[in-house]
Amino acid sequence: MTRQQRQDARPAVVLEGVQRHSRMVDRFAGFALHHVHGVPVLWHRDPRFKTFRASLSAQRPLDQRTAARALLPALLAHGTQQNPDRPALARAMERLYGGMVAPAIGRIGESSLFRLVAEAVAGEFLPGRPDQLGAALQLLADYAVRPRLDGDGGFPAEIFAREHAQALANAAAVFDDKTAWARQQALLHGCPGEPYAIPEHGGVAAIAEVGRRDPELARDDCLRHGRLYCVAMGALPDDLPSRLEPLLGVLPLRRTGPLPEVVQPERRAPSRTVEHAELQQSKQVLLFRLPVPADAAATCALHVLASMFGGGPHSRLFQQVREQRSLAYYISAGVDVHKGMLVVQTGLDVAAAPAVEAETLAQLALLQQGEFGSEELRTATATITGPFAAIDDSLPSRMHFVAEQWLLGQDQTPAQRLQSYAAVGKEQVVAAAQSIWHDHSYLLAPEDQP
Amino acid sequence: MTGGFAVFRDPVLGEEVFAATTSRGLRLRVWPRQHFRETAAAITFAYGSTDLGFDDGGVPVTTPAGMAHYLEHKLFEDEDLHTFERFAARGARVNASTGFTRTTYHFSATSHVRENLQDLLQLVSRAHITPANVDKERGIIAQEVRMYEDAPDHCTLFDLLGCLYGGHPVRHSVGGTVDSIAEITADGLLQCWRAFYRTGNAALAVAGPVEPALVLELAEACSLAAGAPPERHEPSDRGPVAAPRKQRAMQVARPKLLIGCKDRTLDSLVEARLRRQLCTRVLLDRLFAASSEVREDLHRRGLVDDTLGCGYTGERTFGYAVVGCESELPEQAEATLRQVLLRPAPLDEDHLDRVRRRFLGGYVRSFESVRAQAFAHAYEAIEDVPPFAALQRVQSLTLEEVQARQHELLREENLAVAVTQKG
Repeated sequence: MTRQQRQDARPAVVLEGVQRHSRMVDRFAGFALHHVHGVPVLWHRDPRFKTFRASLSAQRPLDQRTAARALLPALLAHGTQQNPDRPALARAMERLYGGMVAPAIGRIGESSLFRLVAEAVAGEFLPGRPDQLGAALQLLADYAVRPRLDGDGGFPAEIFAREHAQALANAAAVFDDKTAWARQQALLHGCPGEPYAIPEHGGVAAIAEVGRRDPELARDDCLRHGRLYCVAMGALPDDLPSRLEPLLGVLPLRRTGPLPEVVQPERRAPSRTVEHAELQQSKQVLLFRLPVPADAAATCALHVLASMFGGGPHSRLFQQVREQRSLAYYISAGVDVHKGMLVVQTGLDVAAAPAVEAETLAQLALLQQGEFGSEELRTATATITGPFAAIDDSLPSRMHFVAEQWLLGQDQTPAQRLQSYAAVGKEQVVAAAQSIWHDHSYLLAPEDQP
Repeated sequence: MTGGFAVFRDPVLGEEVFAATTSRGLRLRVWPRQHFRETAAAITFAYGSTDLGFDDGGVPVTTPAGMAHYLEHKLFEDEDLHTFERFAARGARVNASTGFTRTTYHFSATSHVRENLQDLLQLVSRAHITPANVDKERGIIAQEVRMYEDAPDHCTLFDLLGCLYGGHPVRHSVGGTVDSIAEITADGLLQCWRAFYRTGNAALAVAGPVEPALVLELAEACSLAAGAPPERHEPSDRGPVAAPRKQRAMQVARPKLLIGCKDRTLDSLVEARLRRQLCTRVLLDRLFAASSEVREDLHRRGLVDDTLGCGYTGERTFGYAVVGCESELPEQAEATLRQVLLRPAPLDEDHLDRVRRRFLGGYVRSFESVRAQAFAHAYEAIEDVPPFAALQRVQSLTLEEVQARQHELLREENLAVAVTQKG
C-alpha cells in the first residue's frame, strides 16, 4: 500500500471532517479531532496534568530545501515583531514560568517536520492564575507568522550570516560525535540518491548554498504547502479549539503539496564502506531494508522483531555479542517504519568487526528460520508493552504516538495498540524477519587500520 | 507519622512524600501517584569514582581509578547471567549509573512492582564476583573507556579537571583508564562492595502508583548489609589550581575551549552547599543564559557562538564552575569569557524574579515525571535534605548572596583553561 493509499484509507469521517470548520467530527487514536480553519486538531484534556503541551507541525519532503528549513529554528529564535531579539523572547518565556515555546526541525522517514511547540504550567496552578495558554499560543503565533524580518522579506543580514556560519559549524561538528557521524555516513553511502541520505541539517554543501531569503521562503512553503496538523494534551480548557482560532486563523492560505513515495530499492547484494578517523573504538553500522509496513499489525510485528533482535539488554545481539562473546561495548537495533529501514549500530574494537557482522547476520537468519521460543517472544513483547502501558503518563510520548498514527494513517488508541502487540505471534515475527535484507555495511575504523 | 512514615506536604501543590528509615538504617522516600501507570525506583549509594581510599577494619585501602564503575557493571551479573532478562520479561527497564560521588541503580515499570523492587534490592545486596567474570568484563569496560577517550568533549573536561585539581581524584575519568582497570581484581571489588554497599550509605526512593507500606515492607526484608560506610580518606584540595592551562590536539571540527573555576570555599553542611550551588547557577544564568544581554552582546560581536554553555558542580570535597564553547579563535574566546567572568555581573531584581518564576514552573513540571522524582528524592534522602526544601531556598534567595558568591568564586587565581585544538 502506498503512502497516499494509506492516507486515503483513513476512516471516511476523518476525510469528511477536512471540509468542516471548528466542529467536532470524531476521535482519532483516542484524541478528540476537530478541524480549525482546515487544520486538523487532535487534542485530549487530561486532568491528571498540571501542564499543557501543544504543537503545530508541517510535514514536507526531505529535499533541496532541507538545509534552509533546518536553519529556521535558530533564525526564528532571534525574535518576533513583538519580542524583537533573542533575550526578549527568552525573557518572555521565563515570565511564562519557564514555559517553552520554540520552533524545531525533525525528520520522519523521508520527510522533514517543521514544528512549533509550546509547553507550560497551566495558569490555575500558579499565583494569580495567569492565562498561560493564551500567552503561549500568542508566542506560537508570533513564531509562525510574525518573525523578525527585514523589509525585503528575508531574515536580517547580520543574523542570517551568524546563524548560517553556526549551521555550517554544527554540521561539521557531527564528526566530533563518532556514533552520530558513523550513522550519518552509513546512510549517505548506503542510500545513494535517496532522500533518506540527506542529514537532518541538510548537509554541509547544501547549507553553504542557502541564501538569506531561502529560510523565509522555506517557512512560507511549510505553512502554505506542508501537511499541517496540531496536537495538544494536558491541563487544557474545554474550549481548546476556540482558543486555537487566533493561531490557526492567521496562517496563510494553503494548498497541501503531495509527499513523494518512499524510495525502496530492489533487493541487491550488500555493499560495503570503510572510512577512517582518529579513534580507538570503531563504529559499525549495518543497514537492513524492509517494506514499509502496511498496517498496525505489521508495524507491531516489526517492533517485536526489532526488540528481540537488538532492542535492549534482553535482545539477542546484546546477549550474544556483548554478554556471551564480549565482542562489543554496545550493540543495538532500531527500526524506522516510515522508511523501511532497520539499523544495527555497534561500538567495537576494529578486529571484532567481521565477527560482529557475522554474528548479527547469523542471529537474523535464526529469527528468519523461526529459531526462537515462546518465552523469548513474550519477553520481547513485554519490553515494548511494559513502557507503552505508561504512554498516557507523558505528554510528549502520548502526543508523539498520536502524531505517528496520524502520519501513518493508523487509527488506534493505546489500548488497541497494546492488543495488537499482544496478538503478534511467532508467524508474524518470522514473516517480518523474512522481509528484511542486508543492504549495506559501514565501518568507521582507526586511521592505522586497513 | 503514618505507618512508620513521616509525611511531608509541598506548599504549592499539596503533593505528599512519605519518608522513613528502616530498622536497619536504609533511608526511604515514597511519592505515591495513584493516577499514573508508571512506577520508578532508584537506590543510590554514596560511593563514586572519587572514593578511592578508605579504612577497612583499621587498614588503609587505596583502590585504582574506575573501581566504583567496575563494581556497578559486575553487580548486574548473577549466577545465571539473567538480570536484564528477568526485568525485561516483566516489561521493566533496569539500568545503573556511576558518577563522581554516587552509584545509582534504577528501574521503571508498569506492573510487577513487588517483584521488580525485590529484584532491584537483591541486585545490590548480593555480589557474584569471581576472578573469571571480572576478567571477562575487563575487555568490555576497556572498550567503554576508549569510547570516552575518543570523545573530544570528555577529554577536554578531564584536562580541565586535571588543571583545577592536582590532588583530588575528581581529575580521573569515572571509568578510569585501561591501565587502572587492569589493576582491579575480584577481591578488590568485593572489598569495596562490602565497605560501601550498606544501608547507612544508601537511600531508596520510589515514585508511582505504589503503597508506601509495600516499599517499607520490601526494604525491611532486603538483605543489604547494615551499618555505616567506612571512614573515607577524604581528599582535601582547596589550594590554587594545579596548572593554569592544558592543551591537546585531536581530530575535531573546531577547537574546543573550557574555562574552569575552582570552588575553594566548600562547606560540609549540605544546606550551605546547596545554597552556594543555587547562587552560582543564578550567577551563570545571568551571564550566559539565552535571556542574557551579556551573552547576546558576545554573539553580536562574533566573540562566541551558540555552542556557549556553562554549569556548576558542587560536592562535599570538590566544586567547579565551567564555561565553554567551540571557536576557531579559542584565544580570543578565552580572553572574552575571562573578562565576563571577572567583572561584576549586572545583577538585578528583575532577573531574580524571572529565575524564581522559572524555578516554580520547573518545580510544578517535575511532578509529572515519576523517574525524575525517584532520582531527586533518592539524591536528597542520601544527604538528609528534607523534601521540598528547594522551593524555599530559591524563594529566599537575595541579590546580595549572588553578588557575594561572585566575589568569592570568580577570581583570577581560581581559573584554569583547557583547549582541544584541531589535530
